Amino acid sequence: MRRILRLVRLEIWRQILGWSGAWWFIVTLVIGQAVAPLLGLFVWLHVPVAGAQVGTYYLAVICVALMTASFENHTFAQSIYSGEVAAALLRPQPPVIGPLGENLAIRLWMIVFGAPLIILVGLSVGVSFSPLALLAALPALALAAALRFFFVWTLAMAAFWTERVHAVVAFGTVLIFLLGGSAVPNALLPDPLRTIAQLLPFRSMLGFPAELAAGTLTVADAAAGYAISLFWTAALGCCAVGAWRLGIRRYSTVGA
Amino acid sequence: MTYRVPVRDAGLVAAARALVRRNYRDVHAVQNVTFHIETGHVVGFLGRNGAGKTTTMKILAGILHPTSGRVRVFGETPWRRHNHYLRQIALIRGSQPIGDAPELTVLDSFRYQQVLYDVAESEFEHNLAELSELLDLDSILQRQVRALSLGERMRAGLALALVYRPRILFLDEPTIGLDISAAKLVRTFIAEYSAQTGATVLLTSHSMADVESLCPRLILIDDGAIAFDGRRDELSSVFSPTKLIRVAVTDDDPDLAQHGDVLQRDGNQWLLRVDRDAVPATTARILSSFAVADLSVEEPSLENVMDQAYRHLRSAKDATS
Repeated sequence: MRRILRLVRLEIWRQILGWSGAWWFIVTLVIGQAVAPLLGLFVWLHVPVAGAQVGTYYLAVICVALMTASFENHTFAQSIYSGEVAAALLRPQPPVIGPLGENLAIRLWMIVFGAPLIILVGLSVGVSFSPLALLAALPALALAAALRFFFVWTLAMAAFWTERVHAVVAFGTVLIFLLGGSAVPNALLPDPLRTIAQLLPFRSMLGFPAELAAGTLTVADAAAGYAISLFWTAALGCCAVGAWRLGIRRYSTVGA
Repeated sequence: MTYRVPVRDAGLVAAARALVRRNYRDVHAVQNVTFHIETGHVVGFLGRNGAGKTTTMKILAGILHPTSGRVRVFGETPWRRHNHYLRQIALIRGSQPIGDAPELTVLDSFRYQQVLYDVAESEFEHNLAELSELLDLDSILQRQVRALSLGERMRAGLALALVYRPRILFLDEPTIGLDISAAKLVRTFIAEYSAQTGATVLLTSHSMADVESLCPRLILIDDGAIAFDGRRDELSSVFSPTKLIRVAVTDDDPDLAQHGDVLQRDGNQWLLRVDRDAVPATTARILSSFAVADLSVEEPSLENVMDQAYRHLRSAKDATS
Protein backbone atom coordinates (compact mmCIF):
# COMPACT_ATOMS: atom_id res chain seq x y z
CA MET A 1 0.00 0.00 0.00
CA ARG A 2 2.85 2.38 0.83
CA ARG A 3 4.34 1.70 -2.59
CA ILE A 4 0.99 2.41 -4.27
CA LEU A 5 0.64 5.72 -2.43
CA ARG A 6 4.22 6.59 -3.33
CA LEU A 7 3.52 5.81 -6.97
CA VAL A 8 0.34 7.92 -6.91
CA ARG A 9 2.27 10.84 -5.37
CA LEU A 10 5.00 10.41 -7.94
CA GLU A 11 2.49 10.31 -10.79
CA ILE A 12 0.77 13.46 -9.52
CA TRP A 13 4.14 15.20 -9.26
CA ARG A 14 5.08 14.05 -12.77
CA GLN A 15 1.80 15.23 -14.18
CA ILE A 16 1.93 18.57 -12.34
CA LEU A 17 5.28 19.16 -14.01
CA GLY A 18 3.96 17.76 -17.26
CA TRP A 19 1.02 20.19 -17.31
CA SER A 20 3.06 23.15 -16.09
CA GLY A 21 3.81 24.16 -19.66
CA ALA A 22 0.12 24.31 -20.59
CA TRP A 23 -1.10 27.02 -18.17
CA TRP A 24 -3.06 28.81 -20.89
CA PHE A 25 -4.90 25.58 -21.64
CA ILE A 26 -5.67 25.13 -17.93
CA VAL A 27 -7.17 28.63 -17.93
CA THR A 28 -9.52 27.61 -20.76
CA LEU A 29 -10.47 24.49 -18.80
CA VAL A 30 -11.25 26.64 -15.74
CA ILE A 31 -13.44 28.93 -17.82
CA GLY A 32 -15.13 25.92 -19.42
CA GLN A 33 -16.00 24.47 -16.01
CA ALA A 34 -17.07 27.78 -14.47
CA VAL A 35 -19.17 29.24 -17.26
CA ALA A 36 -22.29 27.06 -16.75
CA PRO A 37 -22.56 27.65 -12.96
CA LEU A 38 -21.82 31.36 -13.54
CA LEU A 39 -24.76 31.55 -15.94
CA GLY A 40 -26.91 29.73 -13.39
CA LEU A 41 -25.77 32.18 -10.75
CA PHE A 42 -26.67 35.25 -12.81
CA VAL A 43 -30.09 33.84 -13.69
CA TRP A 44 -31.10 32.52 -10.25
CA LEU A 45 -29.82 35.57 -8.36
CA HIS A 46 -32.70 37.48 -9.89
CA VAL A 47 -35.35 34.88 -9.06
CA PRO A 48 -36.80 35.56 -5.59
CA VAL A 49 -37.95 31.96 -5.08
CA ALA A 50 -34.30 30.80 -5.29
CA GLY A 51 -33.65 32.00 -1.75
CA ALA A 52 -30.93 34.06 -0.10
CA GLN A 53 -28.27 31.33 -0.23
CA VAL A 54 -28.36 30.84 -4.01
CA GLY A 55 -25.21 32.97 -4.50
CA THR A 56 -23.36 30.93 -1.89
CA TYR A 57 -24.66 27.74 -3.47
CA TYR A 58 -23.44 28.66 -6.95
CA LEU A 59 -20.03 29.73 -5.69
CA ALA A 60 -19.80 26.32 -4.02
CA VAL A 61 -20.84 24.72 -7.33
CA ILE A 62 -17.99 26.52 -9.10
CA CYS A 63 -15.53 25.28 -6.44
CA VAL A 64 -16.87 21.72 -6.69
CA ALA A 65 -16.73 21.85 -10.49
CA LEU A 66 -13.08 22.92 -10.45
CA MET A 67 -12.11 20.40 -7.79
CA THR A 68 -13.82 17.46 -9.44
CA ALA A 69 -13.37 18.22 -13.14
CA SER A 70 -12.32 15.17 -15.15
CA PHE A 71 -10.98 15.13 -18.67
CA GLU A 72 -10.23 11.48 -19.30
CA ASN A 73 -11.85 11.83 -22.72
CA HIS A 74 -8.90 14.08 -23.61
CA THR A 75 -6.14 12.40 -21.62
CA PHE A 76 -6.80 8.68 -21.19
CA ALA A 77 -8.80 8.23 -24.40
CA GLN A 78 -6.06 9.99 -26.32
CA SER A 79 -3.51 7.53 -24.95
CA ILE A 80 -5.63 4.72 -26.38
CA TYR A 81 -5.84 6.40 -29.77
CA SER A 82 -2.12 7.21 -29.87
CA GLY A 83 -1.07 3.76 -28.63
CA GLU A 84 0.66 5.19 -25.53
CA VAL A 85 -1.57 3.02 -23.37
CA ALA A 86 0.54 0.06 -24.55
CA ALA A 87 3.60 1.51 -22.83
CA ALA A 88 1.49 2.17 -19.71
CA LEU A 89 0.39 -1.48 -19.66
CA LEU A 90 4.02 -2.58 -19.38
CA ARG A 91 4.70 -0.51 -16.28
CA PRO A 92 4.76 -2.57 -13.08
CA GLN A 93 2.01 -0.63 -11.34
CA PRO A 94 -1.81 -0.70 -11.18
CA PRO A 95 -3.09 0.76 -14.45
CA VAL A 96 -5.40 3.26 -12.72
CA ILE A 97 -2.44 5.18 -11.28
CA GLY A 98 -1.64 6.89 -14.58
CA PRO A 99 -5.11 8.34 -15.28
CA LEU A 100 -5.74 9.05 -11.59
CA GLY A 101 -2.47 10.93 -11.17
CA GLU A 102 -3.10 13.01 -14.26
CA ASN A 103 -6.67 13.72 -13.12
CA LEU A 104 -5.54 14.97 -9.70
CA ALA A 105 -2.71 17.02 -11.18
CA ILE A 106 -5.07 18.81 -13.57
CA ARG A 107 -7.49 19.51 -10.71
CA LEU A 108 -4.69 21.02 -8.63
CA TRP A 109 -3.74 23.32 -11.48
CA MET A 110 -7.40 24.23 -11.99
CA ILE A 111 -7.77 25.19 -8.34
CA VAL A 112 -4.66 27.37 -8.61
CA PHE A 113 -5.85 29.14 -11.76
CA GLY A 114 -9.48 29.18 -10.65
CA ALA A 115 -8.77 30.77 -7.23
CA PRO A 116 -8.86 34.39 -8.52
CA LEU A 117 -12.22 33.71 -10.18
CA ILE A 118 -13.62 32.17 -6.99
CA ILE A 119 -12.46 35.15 -4.92
CA LEU A 120 -13.86 37.61 -7.46
CA VAL A 121 -17.26 35.92 -7.59
CA GLY A 122 -17.34 35.53 -3.81
CA LEU A 123 -16.68 39.25 -3.29
CA SER A 124 -19.21 40.29 -5.94
CA VAL A 125 -22.06 38.12 -4.73
CA GLY A 126 -21.45 38.43 -1.01
CA VAL A 127 -21.41 34.79 0.07
CA SER A 128 -21.65 33.39 3.57
CA PHE A 129 -20.31 29.93 4.45
CA SER A 130 -20.51 28.48 7.94
CA PRO A 131 -17.46 26.44 9.03
CA LEU A 132 -19.72 23.59 10.18
CA ALA A 133 -21.44 23.39 6.79
CA LEU A 134 -18.08 23.41 5.02
CA LEU A 135 -16.89 20.60 7.26
CA ALA A 136 -20.04 18.59 6.50
CA ALA A 137 -19.43 19.10 2.77
CA LEU A 138 -15.84 17.85 2.73
CA PRO A 139 -16.60 14.09 2.61
CA ALA A 140 -19.24 14.77 -0.05
CA LEU A 141 -16.64 16.68 -2.04
CA ALA A 142 -14.25 13.71 -1.83
CA LEU A 143 -17.03 11.38 -2.96
CA ALA A 144 -17.92 13.76 -5.79
CA ALA A 145 -14.28 13.81 -6.90
CA ALA A 146 -14.14 10.00 -6.95
CA LEU A 147 -17.55 9.69 -8.58
CA ARG A 148 -16.82 12.14 -11.37
CA PHE A 149 -13.48 10.44 -12.07
CA PHE A 150 -15.09 7.00 -12.23
CA PHE A 151 -17.90 8.35 -14.42
CA VAL A 152 -15.74 10.15 -16.98
CA TRP A 153 -13.03 7.47 -16.97
CA THR A 154 -15.65 4.81 -17.64
CA LEU A 155 -17.13 6.84 -20.49
CA ALA A 156 -13.63 7.58 -21.83
CA MET A 157 -12.99 3.85 -22.01
CA ALA A 158 -15.46 3.83 -24.89
CA ALA A 159 -12.27 4.73 -26.80
CA PHE A 160 -11.46 1.00 -26.75
CA TRP A 161 -14.46 0.50 -29.07
CA THR A 162 -15.09 3.79 -30.85
CA GLU A 163 -13.24 6.83 -32.08
CA ARG A 164 -16.17 9.06 -31.11
CA VAL A 165 -15.46 9.12 -27.41
CA HIS A 166 -15.97 12.87 -27.12
CA ALA A 167 -19.62 12.49 -28.13
CA VAL A 168 -20.11 9.86 -25.43
CA VAL A 169 -18.51 12.03 -22.73
CA ALA A 170 -20.31 15.16 -23.95
CA PHE A 171 -23.62 13.36 -23.38
CA GLY A 172 -22.55 12.60 -19.81
CA THR A 173 -21.52 16.22 -19.28
CA VAL A 174 -24.94 17.42 -20.42
CA LEU A 175 -26.59 15.14 -17.86
CA ILE A 176 -24.36 16.55 -15.11
CA PHE A 177 -25.27 20.09 -16.22
CA LEU A 178 -29.01 19.44 -16.34
CA LEU A 179 -29.50 17.11 -13.40
CA GLY A 180 -26.40 17.80 -11.30
CA GLY A 181 -27.45 21.20 -9.99
CA SER A 182 -25.66 23.52 -12.39
CA ALA A 183 -28.57 24.57 -14.61
CA VAL A 184 -31.04 24.52 -11.73
CA PRO A 185 -30.47 23.88 -8.02
CA ASN A 186 -32.01 20.53 -7.14
CA ALA A 187 -34.49 22.08 -4.70
CA LEU A 188 -35.95 24.21 -7.50
CA LEU A 189 -36.58 21.34 -9.90
CA PRO A 190 -40.24 20.37 -10.30
CA ASP A 191 -41.35 16.99 -9.02
CA PRO A 192 -40.93 14.21 -10.06
CA LEU A 193 -37.76 15.46 -11.82
CA ARG A 194 -36.34 16.55 -8.46
CA THR A 195 -36.74 13.06 -6.98
CA ILE A 196 -35.26 11.45 -10.08
CA ALA A 197 -32.31 13.88 -10.00
CA GLN A 198 -31.77 13.06 -6.33
CA LEU A 199 -31.60 9.36 -7.07
CA LEU A 200 -29.28 9.61 -10.08
CA PRO A 201 -25.51 10.05 -9.57
CA PHE A 202 -25.19 13.51 -11.18
CA ARG A 203 -26.28 15.56 -8.16
CA SER A 204 -23.71 13.70 -6.05
CA MET A 205 -21.03 14.84 -8.51
CA LEU A 206 -21.80 18.55 -8.25
CA GLY A 207 -24.85 19.90 -6.47
CA PHE A 208 -24.91 17.80 -3.32
CA PRO A 209 -21.55 18.96 -1.87
CA ALA A 210 -22.48 22.53 -2.84
CA GLU A 211 -25.86 22.26 -1.08
CA LEU A 212 -24.10 20.97 2.04
CA ALA A 213 -21.54 23.79 1.89
CA ALA A 214 -24.27 26.40 1.44
CA GLY A 215 -26.15 24.92 4.41
CA THR A 216 -29.42 24.48 2.53
CA LEU A 217 -30.06 20.82 3.47
CA THR A 218 -31.76 19.31 6.50
CA VAL A 219 -29.91 16.57 8.39
CA ALA A 220 -32.25 13.95 6.90
CA ASP A 221 -31.64 15.23 3.35
CA ALA A 222 -27.89 15.27 3.97
CA ALA A 223 -27.94 11.70 5.27
CA ALA A 224 -29.98 10.54 2.28
CA GLY A 225 -27.62 12.38 -0.06
CA TYR A 226 -24.60 10.71 1.50
CA ALA A 227 -26.21 7.28 1.19
CA ILE A 228 -26.90 7.92 -2.51
CA SER A 229 -23.36 9.24 -3.06
CA LEU A 230 -21.81 6.21 -1.41
CA PHE A 231 -23.99 3.86 -3.44
CA TRP A 232 -23.10 5.52 -6.76
CA THR A 233 -19.40 5.76 -5.92
CA ALA A 234 -19.31 2.03 -5.28
CA ALA A 235 -21.46 1.30 -8.35
CA LEU A 236 -19.47 3.49 -10.74
CA GLY A 237 -16.22 2.20 -9.25
CA CYS A 238 -17.36 -1.31 -10.18
CA CYS A 239 -18.40 -0.06 -13.64
CA ALA A 240 -14.94 1.45 -14.15
CA VAL A 241 -13.24 -1.82 -13.19
CA GLY A 242 -15.59 -3.80 -15.45
CA ALA A 243 -15.13 -1.41 -18.38
CA TRP A 244 -11.35 -1.57 -17.91
CA ARG A 245 -11.36 -5.36 -17.96
CA LEU A 246 -13.57 -5.52 -21.05
CA GLY A 247 -11.70 -2.73 -22.78
CA ILE A 248 -8.26 -4.10 -22.13
CA ARG A 249 -9.40 -7.55 -23.25
CA ARG A 250 -10.55 -6.03 -26.52
CA TYR A 251 -7.40 -3.91 -26.83
CA SER A 252 -5.14 -6.88 -26.22
CA THR A 253 -6.90 -9.02 -28.79
CA VAL A 254 -7.45 -6.33 -31.43
CA GLY A 255 -4.51 -4.04 -30.76
CA ALA A 256 -3.93 -0.34 -31.23
CA MET B 1 -3.18 -14.14 -33.59
CA THR B 2 -6.34 -13.48 -35.52
CA TYR B 3 -8.08 -10.13 -35.85
CA ARG B 4 -11.72 -9.81 -36.83
CA VAL B 5 -12.07 -6.74 -39.01
CA PRO B 6 -15.27 -5.20 -40.44
CA VAL B 7 -15.47 -5.14 -44.25
CA ARG B 8 -17.96 -3.67 -46.70
CA ASP B 9 -18.23 -2.71 -50.34
CA ALA B 10 -17.65 0.85 -51.48
CA GLY B 11 -20.51 3.32 -51.82
CA LEU B 12 -23.38 4.82 -49.89
CA VAL B 13 -25.74 1.87 -50.20
CA ALA B 14 -23.13 -0.54 -48.86
CA ALA B 15 -22.36 1.89 -46.02
CA ALA B 16 -26.07 2.10 -45.12
CA ARG B 17 -26.41 -1.68 -45.29
CA ALA B 18 -23.39 -2.04 -42.99
CA LEU B 19 -25.21 -0.03 -40.33
CA VAL B 20 -27.70 -2.83 -39.81
CA ARG B 21 -25.69 -5.80 -40.96
CA ARG B 22 -21.94 -5.83 -40.53
CA ASN B 23 -19.70 -8.30 -42.29
CA TYR B 24 -16.41 -9.34 -40.84
CA ARG B 25 -13.29 -11.01 -42.11
CA ASP B 26 -10.65 -12.80 -40.09
CA VAL B 27 -7.12 -11.50 -40.56
CA HIS B 28 -4.40 -13.90 -39.48
CA ALA B 29 -1.65 -11.56 -38.31
CA VAL B 30 0.51 -14.37 -36.93
CA GLN B 31 -0.02 -18.10 -37.31
CA ASN B 32 2.08 -21.22 -36.82
CA VAL B 33 4.95 -19.21 -35.40
CA THR B 34 7.19 -21.41 -33.27
CA PHE B 35 10.65 -20.50 -32.02
CA HIS B 36 12.78 -20.74 -28.94
CA ILE B 37 15.50 -18.32 -27.86
CA GLU B 38 18.16 -19.22 -25.34
CA THR B 39 18.90 -16.78 -22.54
CA GLY B 40 21.57 -14.27 -23.51
CA HIS B 41 21.17 -14.66 -27.27
CA VAL B 42 20.65 -11.77 -29.66
CA VAL B 43 18.19 -12.61 -32.41
CA GLY B 44 17.04 -10.58 -35.39
CA PHE B 45 13.34 -10.83 -36.13
CA LEU B 46 12.91 -9.70 -39.70
CA GLY B 47 10.23 -9.41 -42.30
CA ARG B 48 8.47 -7.13 -44.72
CA ASN B 49 6.07 -4.43 -43.54
CA GLY B 50 2.95 -6.11 -42.20
CA ALA B 51 4.66 -9.51 -41.91
CA GLY B 52 3.74 -9.87 -38.23
CA LYS B 53 6.97 -8.73 -36.52
CA THR B 54 5.48 -6.08 -34.27
CA THR B 55 2.45 -8.22 -33.46
CA THR B 56 4.76 -11.03 -32.32
CA MET B 57 6.85 -8.57 -30.35
CA LYS B 58 3.74 -7.18 -28.64
CA ILE B 59 2.59 -10.70 -27.75
CA LEU B 60 5.99 -11.48 -26.25
CA ALA B 61 6.07 -8.22 -24.30
CA GLY B 62 2.56 -8.79 -22.93
CA ILE B 63 0.56 -6.12 -24.74
CA LEU B 64 -1.42 -8.49 -26.95
CA HIS B 65 -3.25 -11.65 -26.00
CA PRO B 66 -3.03 -14.23 -28.82
CA THR B 67 -6.26 -15.90 -29.89
CA SER B 68 -4.58 -19.29 -29.65
CA GLY B 69 -1.19 -20.84 -28.98
CA ARG B 70 1.28 -20.93 -26.13
CA VAL B 71 3.91 -18.33 -25.26
CA ARG B 72 6.35 -18.44 -22.38
CA VAL B 73 9.03 -15.89 -21.58
CA PHE B 74 11.19 -16.86 -18.61
CA GLY B 75 8.45 -19.35 -17.79
CA GLU B 76 5.83 -16.59 -17.57
CA THR B 77 2.74 -15.97 -19.64
CA PRO B 78 3.46 -12.44 -20.88
CA TRP B 79 -0.09 -11.09 -21.25
CA ARG B 80 -0.84 -11.68 -17.58
CA ARG B 81 1.56 -8.79 -17.04
CA HIS B 82 2.63 -9.77 -13.56
CA ASN B 83 4.83 -7.16 -11.96
CA HIS B 84 7.79 -9.51 -11.57
CA TYR B 85 7.60 -10.24 -15.30
CA LEU B 86 7.31 -6.58 -16.27
CA ARG B 87 10.38 -5.79 -14.17
CA GLN B 88 12.44 -8.19 -16.29
CA ILE B 89 11.56 -6.84 -19.73
CA ALA B 90 11.89 -3.67 -21.73
CA LEU B 91 10.13 -2.86 -24.98
CA ILE B 92 11.90 -0.08 -26.81
CA ARG B 93 10.34 1.37 -29.92
CA GLY B 94 12.49 3.57 -32.10
CA SER B 95 9.43 5.51 -33.20
CA GLN B 96 8.56 6.32 -29.58
CA PRO B 97 11.71 5.95 -27.47
CA ILE B 98 10.38 7.99 -24.54
CA GLY B 99 6.70 7.81 -23.71
CA ASP B 100 4.90 10.65 -22.01
CA ALA B 101 5.64 13.70 -19.83
CA PRO B 102 7.73 15.75 -22.25
CA GLU B 103 8.00 18.60 -19.73
CA LEU B 104 10.09 16.47 -17.38
CA THR B 105 13.85 16.49 -17.52
CA VAL B 106 15.67 13.30 -18.42
CA LEU B 107 16.87 13.03 -14.81
CA ASP B 108 13.25 13.35 -13.58
CA SER B 109 12.35 10.44 -15.84
CA PHE B 110 15.24 8.39 -14.43
CA ARG B 111 14.02 9.04 -10.88
CA TYR B 112 10.55 7.94 -11.92
CA GLN B 113 11.96 4.70 -13.31
CA GLN B 114 13.87 4.19 -10.06
CA VAL B 115 10.68 4.31 -7.99
CA LEU B 116 8.61 2.38 -10.54
CA TYR B 117 11.08 -0.49 -10.70
CA ASP B 118 12.21 -0.35 -7.05
CA VAL B 119 15.87 0.23 -7.88
CA ALA B 120 17.97 0.76 -4.74
CA GLU B 121 19.70 4.15 -4.55
CA SER B 122 23.25 2.75 -4.72
CA GLU B 123 22.38 0.50 -7.66
CA PHE B 124 20.58 3.37 -9.36
CA GLU B 125 23.56 5.70 -9.00
CA HIS B 126 25.90 3.03 -10.32
CA ASN B 127 23.68 2.17 -13.29
CA LEU B 128 23.04 5.80 -14.13
CA ALA B 129 26.75 6.62 -14.07
CA GLU B 130 27.51 3.66 -16.30
CA LEU B 131 24.72 4.42 -18.75
CA SER B 132 25.66 8.10 -18.83
CA GLU B 133 29.19 7.22 -19.78
CA LEU B 134 28.27 4.62 -22.40
CA LEU B 135 25.53 6.71 -24.00
CA ASP B 136 27.04 10.14 -23.39
CA LEU B 137 24.07 11.38 -21.36
CA ASP B 138 25.72 13.93 -19.05
CA SER B 139 24.85 16.86 -21.29
CA ILE B 140 21.15 15.96 -21.55
CA LEU B 141 20.27 14.82 -18.01
CA GLN B 142 19.10 18.30 -17.00
CA ARG B 143 17.19 18.95 -20.22
CA GLN B 144 13.47 18.56 -20.81
CA VAL B 145 12.48 15.56 -22.89
CA ARG B 146 10.56 17.72 -25.36
CA ALA B 147 13.73 19.67 -26.23
CA LEU B 148 15.77 16.61 -27.17
CA SER B 149 16.67 15.67 -30.72
CA LEU B 150 15.63 12.25 -32.04
CA GLY B 151 19.10 10.81 -31.43
CA GLU B 152 19.16 12.18 -27.88
CA ARG B 153 15.68 10.80 -27.26
CA MET B 154 16.77 7.38 -28.41
CA ARG B 155 19.85 7.42 -26.20
CA ALA B 156 17.78 8.63 -23.24
CA GLY B 157 15.01 6.10 -24.01
CA LEU B 158 17.50 3.24 -24.12
CA ALA B 159 19.08 4.32 -20.86
CA LEU B 160 15.69 4.75 -19.16
CA ALA B 161 14.69 1.26 -20.24
CA LEU B 162 17.95 -0.24 -19.01
CA VAL B 163 18.43 1.55 -15.69
CA TYR B 164 16.54 -1.26 -13.95
CA ARG B 165 18.65 -3.91 -15.75
CA PRO B 166 15.96 -5.85 -17.67
CA ARG B 167 16.87 -9.40 -18.64
CA ILE B 168 15.21 -9.23 -22.02
CA LEU B 169 15.03 -6.42 -24.53
CA PHE B 170 12.43 -6.20 -27.23
CA LEU B 171 13.83 -3.68 -29.67
CA ASP B 172 11.46 -2.47 -32.36
CA GLU B 173 13.40 -0.49 -34.99
CA PRO B 174 15.80 1.04 -32.44
CA THR B 175 17.80 3.04 -34.99
CA ILE B 176 14.96 4.30 -37.18
CA GLY B 177 15.55 7.91 -38.19
CA LEU B 178 18.97 8.13 -36.53
CA ASP B 179 22.06 9.47 -38.28
CA ILE B 180 24.98 7.10 -38.93
CA SER B 181 26.93 8.04 -35.79
CA ALA B 182 23.92 7.85 -33.48
CA ALA B 183 22.83 4.53 -34.98
CA LYS B 184 26.35 3.13 -34.55
CA LEU B 185 26.45 4.28 -30.92
CA VAL B 186 23.11 2.60 -30.22
CA ARG B 187 24.23 -0.65 -31.88
CA THR B 188 27.51 -0.71 -30.00
CA PHE B 189 25.71 -0.05 -26.75
CA ILE B 190 23.15 -2.83 -27.27
CA ALA B 191 25.93 -5.30 -28.07
CA GLU B 192 27.89 -4.27 -24.96
CA TYR B 193 24.81 -4.39 -22.74
CA SER B 194 23.93 -7.87 -23.89
CA ALA B 195 27.51 -9.10 -23.50
CA GLN B 196 27.92 -7.56 -20.04
CA THR B 197 24.58 -8.48 -18.51
CA GLY B 198 23.71 -11.64 -20.42
CA ALA B 199 20.44 -10.03 -21.52
CA THR B 200 18.42 -11.66 -24.26
CA VAL B 201 17.66 -9.37 -27.19
CA LEU B 202 14.99 -9.71 -29.85
CA LEU B 203 15.45 -7.08 -32.52
CA THR B 204 13.26 -6.03 -35.40
CA SER B 205 14.84 -3.66 -37.86
CA HIS B 206 14.85 -2.80 -41.52
CA SER B 207 18.43 -1.63 -41.10
CA MET B 208 20.75 -4.40 -42.24
CA ALA B 209 23.61 -2.62 -40.46
CA ASP B 210 21.74 -3.29 -37.17
CA VAL B 211 21.20 -6.91 -38.09
CA GLU B 212 24.76 -7.54 -39.31
CA SER B 213 26.38 -6.00 -36.26
CA LEU B 214 24.09 -7.51 -33.63
CA CYS B 215 22.36 -10.71 -34.72
CA PRO B 216 24.15 -14.02 -35.32
CA ARG B 217 20.72 -15.67 -35.61
CA LEU B 218 17.86 -14.50 -37.77
CA ILE B 219 14.20 -15.37 -37.78
CA LEU B 220 12.45 -14.34 -40.96
CA ILE B 221 8.70 -13.98 -40.71
CA ASP B 222 6.43 -13.57 -43.69
CA ASP B 223 2.68 -13.36 -43.88
CA GLY B 224 2.44 -14.28 -40.22
CA ALA B 225 4.51 -17.47 -40.51
CA ILE B 226 8.18 -18.25 -40.06
CA ALA B 227 10.02 -18.50 -43.38
CA PHE B 228 13.55 -18.93 -42.03
CA ASP B 229 15.13 -19.54 -38.66
CA GLY B 230 18.87 -20.03 -38.55
CA ARG B 231 22.33 -18.52 -38.60
CA ARG B 232 22.74 -15.28 -40.49
CA ASP B 233 25.33 -16.73 -42.86
CA GLU B 234 22.95 -19.56 -43.79
CA LEU B 235 20.33 -17.13 -45.02
CA SER B 236 22.09 -16.37 -48.29
CA SER B 237 22.44 -20.05 -49.18
CA VAL B 238 18.69 -20.47 -48.73
CA PHE B 239 17.43 -17.37 -50.47
CA SER B 240 20.28 -16.21 -52.66
CA PRO B 241 21.24 -18.76 -55.35
CA THR B 242 24.18 -16.61 -56.44
CA LYS B 243 27.58 -15.44 -55.26
CA LEU B 244 29.77 -12.56 -56.38
CA ILE B 245 33.17 -12.95 -58.04
CA ARG B 246 35.35 -9.86 -57.88
CA VAL B 247 38.25 -10.16 -60.30
CA ALA B 248 41.07 -7.90 -61.52
CA VAL B 249 42.89 -8.90 -64.71
CA THR B 250 45.92 -7.50 -66.55
CA ASP B 251 44.85 -8.56 -70.08
CA ASP B 252 44.13 -5.93 -72.71
CA ASP B 253 40.43 -5.66 -73.46
CA PRO B 254 39.32 -8.78 -71.59
CA ASP B 255 35.72 -9.99 -71.92
CA LEU B 256 34.44 -11.71 -68.80
CA ALA B 257 30.74 -11.21 -69.59
CA GLN B 258 30.44 -14.80 -70.80
CA HIS B 259 31.30 -16.04 -67.28
CA GLY B 260 28.44 -14.42 -65.38
CA ASP B 261 26.16 -11.39 -65.02
CA VAL B 262 28.26 -8.24 -64.99
CA LEU B 263 27.19 -6.12 -62.06
CA GLN B 264 30.02 -3.64 -62.26
CA ARG B 265 33.07 -2.91 -64.41
CA ASP B 266 35.78 -0.42 -63.62
CA GLY B 267 38.61 -0.70 -66.14
CA ASN B 268 40.04 -4.14 -65.73
CA GLN B 269 38.17 -4.80 -62.50
CA TRP B 270 34.97 -6.80 -62.83
CA LEU B 271 32.19 -7.81 -60.49
CA LEU B 272 30.27 -10.85 -61.69
CA ARG B 273 27.20 -12.57 -60.32
CA VAL B 274 27.41 -16.33 -60.69
CA ASP B 275 25.20 -19.23 -59.66
CA ARG B 276 26.31 -20.56 -56.28
CA ASP B 277 26.89 -24.08 -57.66
CA ALA B 278 28.86 -22.79 -60.64
CA VAL B 279 31.39 -20.76 -58.64
CA PRO B 280 34.21 -23.37 -58.54
CA ALA B 281 34.02 -24.08 -62.28
CA THR B 282 33.70 -20.40 -63.18
CA THR B 283 36.70 -19.33 -61.08
CA ALA B 284 38.75 -22.15 -62.61
CA ARG B 285 37.81 -21.02 -66.13
CA ILE B 286 38.63 -17.36 -65.37
CA LEU B 287 41.98 -18.30 -63.82
CA SER B 288 42.91 -20.42 -66.82
CA SER B 289 41.66 -17.93 -69.47
CA PHE B 290 42.95 -14.60 -68.13
CA ALA B 291 45.97 -13.10 -66.47
CA VAL B 292 44.36 -12.66 -63.09
CA ALA B 293 45.91 -10.11 -60.70
CA ASP B 294 43.33 -10.61 -57.97
CA LEU B 295 40.21 -12.70 -57.44
CA SER B 296 37.81 -13.05 -54.57
CA VAL B 297 34.48 -14.78 -54.08
CA GLU B 298 31.98 -12.87 -51.97
CA GLU B 299 28.59 -13.51 -50.48
CA PRO B 300 26.03 -10.96 -51.64
CA SER B 301 25.31 -8.23 -49.10
CA LEU B 302 22.69 -8.99 -46.47
CA GLU B 303 20.56 -6.27 -47.96
CA ASN B 304 20.56 -8.04 -51.33
CA VAL B 305 19.89 -11.39 -49.71
CA MET B 306 16.95 -9.96 -47.79
CA ASP B 307 15.64 -8.34 -50.95
CA GLN B 308 15.86 -11.66 -52.75
CA ALA B 309 14.24 -13.41 -49.82
CA TYR B 310 11.31 -10.98 -49.79
CA ARG B 311 10.89 -11.33 -53.58
CA HIS B 312 11.04 -15.09 -53.32
CA LEU B 313 8.44 -15.16 -50.55
CA ARG B 314 6.17 -12.76 -52.40
CA SER B 315 6.29 -14.77 -55.62
CA ALA B 316 5.68 -17.99 -53.67
CA LYS B 317 2.65 -16.37 -52.06
CA ASP B 318 1.37 -15.12 -55.43
CA ALA B 319 1.79 -18.60 -56.89
CA THR B 320 -0.15 -20.12 -53.99
CA SER B 321 -3.00 -17.63 -54.20
